[in-house]
This record gives sequence, structure tokens and C-alpha cells, in this order.
Amino acid sequence: MNRIDLLLFSVIGVALLIGLARLLGFARAPVLVDAALAARLAADALPGFAPAETVISRDGAGALVAARDGRVALVRTLGDRFVVRPLVHPLVARAGAVLRVRPEEAMFPETALDLGEAAASHWAARL
Amino acid sequence: MDRLLTLDPVAIAIPVFVVMIIIELLAVRMGWRGDYDWRDTGTSLAMGLGNTITGALLAGSVTGLALWMWQHRLFDIPVAWWSFALCFVLDDLAYYWIHRAGHRIRWAWAAHVIHHSSQHYNLSTALRQTWTGLFGLTFLIKLPLFLIGFPLELVAFCAGLNLIYQFWIHTEVIGKLPRWFEAVMNTPSHHRVHHGTNPRYLDRNYAGVFIIWDRMFGTFEAERADEPPRYGIIRNLATFNPLWVAVHEWVGIARDLARARSLKTAWAAAFGPPGALSGETADALRAQWLAQAGAGAPQPTPRPELIPAAVPAE
Repeated sequence: MNRIDLLLFSVIGVALLIGLARLLGFARAPVLVDAALAARLAADALPGFAPAETVISRDGAGALVAARDGRVALVRTLGDRFVVRPLVHPLVARAGAVLRVRPEEAMFPETALDLGEAAASHWAARL
Repeated sequence: MDRLLTLDPVAIAIPVFVVMIIIELLAVRMGWRGDYDWRDTGTSLAMGLGNTITGALLAGSVTGLALWMWQHRLFDIPVAWWSFALCFVLDDLAYYWIHRAGHRIRWAWAAHVIHHSSQHYNLSTALRQTWTGLFGLTFLIKLPLFLIGFPLELVAFCAGLNLIYQFWIHTEVIGKLPRWFEAVMNTPSHHRVHHGTNPRYLDRNYAGVFIIWDRMFGTFEAERADEPPRYGIIRNLATFNPLWVAVHEWVGIARDLARARSLKTAWAAAFGPPGALSGETADALRAQWLAQAGAGAPQPTPRPELIPAAVPAE
């Protein structure tokens, strides 16, 4: 088998495996069910991060966690997992109840957090 | 033996890899330990595919250097079963140090981090391989094998077998294996530790085939039932984009070099341990965890590092 054939078969194999994984239901969308989960994720991901205050988006797809030392972390979904980032000079925009947050990091997608009017205003000021 | 060396073991193994992933997918679906996400698997397989392409494109330059070294060899080592066995063991020892350098020097980590960038640990993770391995320069560690006199095709064959061995250990389906096997060989349990970001597990179990190297050089850590590994990297990526997965750490190095205001900082940015600038090196994270855990946490055995010492974080 020459290299082109091998590449072609590899591409077919990759497509087959991705399709099979999808077909078998490996496509969960996790939800932040409570503040404790968001706080634990932030504490696990960030050394010395002691959660003090948490707010969760109404759709459970993201959260903001503030630590006792004043740091704030963003928790959001990625595939069937979560990613956490400390927010240092993030891009923040508020539109009513929705706070849009983007860490200062290439390729990190904007996260829309539906926090409610009062909480969105409070956290926007904090960031 | 000579005829055997004309074969590419990895190319032959690819269909087996596919079948084993299908079996693991079905096993996990039926309730065996493990997990998949189709997007994560897609990225892992795309990285594997890209690795074969870049490998084919760039292999010539390494081959040329290896050939030059072999032309200045110290011994004429024939291709035979005894030399194959010796080469396999020495190649695995070289792999241990290549892998260790890949975790302890950011320049090399930029190429290797790709393999650790999934939060999953399954057979598709095994195929999540670098596109920039050549630029990581860790292949230099293997060059003495050619200088000793091992023929290129023999080393390449052993490296292929080593790679194939490491495929099946990327699974949660298999728990612990018999004690004698866990004592000598790298196993799914040992390698799960290697992929863990728990402070206890950071920068442990670099072995390829034989775990004895980690036991010898003080980097072994056993998997604990009460502490399942959290897979991934310290700052898990927020995208499945294969191109970003491939280059993100190189971009990070370039950014930090551009911001560096001293040679010391620039050195730390490129050749210090990963996390040197932020203060989040594996050693610092482990020390912080040990301080928090108190006397109850086991102390890792301190060993003299063969890799250049860490530049203090700034």
C-alpha cells in the first residue's frame, strides 16, 4: 500500500470512529448543577484557590467563582468536560441579565452567562 | 531478522488500533470503566493523522543526522536477535529521557503537550500525537544509539514497537495487572498516573515500555484507588481546533519571549520548566500541595536532576 492509499484509509478510519462515537451517544453536554460543583472545579484547577462566592448561569453552562483572595475564575463547558480560567483583565460586556466574559487568551471562546439583572451588574463591576 | 526490519510495524498496527478503539467504545458503552466524547476523539484522531503526515515529511532530516552519526560509529553491531534485544532496551531508556525532557523543558513540552491536552484517557488519546516533534529537539537524546553503532533500521524498528506497546496502555478499561507485570512493565495503571494533573501525579511515570526506569531514577508513582487521576493539563484547552492544539504552547513561548525584558526571563520562557514564568511548575504545585496536605502526604524521593535546573519564576 502506498502512502496516499494509507492516508486515504486513515481518513476513512478517523471518520468512521468519530461517527461511531457520536452514534453510541458519547456526546453529553454537562451542566453545572450547583455552586458547590463550580467551586470544586475551580479549586481543583487553580492552586491555592479557596472559593468564597459563586454564581451560575441559568443554563448551567458556565459560572463565575470568586476566591477569598479576590481572584475570580470562569468555569465553562467544553464538550463533555469543563475548563477553568482565572480572569485577569478579561473582556466583559453586559446586556441586561447576560454577562459576556472572555479571558485574555487566544482561542478561548466568549462565554455568555445568564445571571439575572442584579447578579450580572454585581459581577460586571467586580471584573 | 533483516527482512523483518524492512517492515513498518506502526503502519501494520494501524488497523489493529482502529479495531481496538471500536472494542473500547463498545465496552465503555456497555458499562466498563472509561469515557469518550466524540469531539475530543475527533481532535485526538486528527492529531494522529497530522502526526503521520508531518512525520513522513520531516523524517528525512533526522535520518540524515542519524546516518552521519552511524558513519562515525564506535562498533560494528550486526542485525541479530541479541542486538535487537539490546537495542530495544536502550531505545526504551532513551525514550525515558526524551519523555522526561519533554515534560521538564518548555521548548520540548511545546511539542509534547499535545499528547496531554485531552481531558479524556482512552485509546484515542494514544493517537493524539504532536505535529512538531522535530522542533522539540528531544530526538537528539537518541543519537548516541547510532554513535554506538546500532543500525538505523534496527533503531527505527525498536522505536516502532515501543510506540505500538504504548497504545494499549491508554485505557481505563484495564485496572491493575498482576504484581510481577506492574513491577517491570509500563501498564495502563502506571500511565494513567502519568496523564494525571493531580499534584501527586504531576511529572511521574515517564516510562515507555519498562517502568523500571522510573523506579531507578526516582520518578515512579503508583496509582491510588482513593485518588483517581484528573486527566489533561494545568490549563486545559478551551477548543477542539486541531491547529490550535498543535501550536498553542509554541505561541505561548513566542508571546512570553516577546514580553521578556531580560535574558533570564527569556531563558525561563523557552527552556525553563513549563510554568516557570507563572510559578506553576510541577515542582511548585507539588510543594504547595504537600504544604497544604501536611505531614500525611508522602514525600517524593528527591533525586538529582539531569535536566538543567529550573530558572526561578518571575
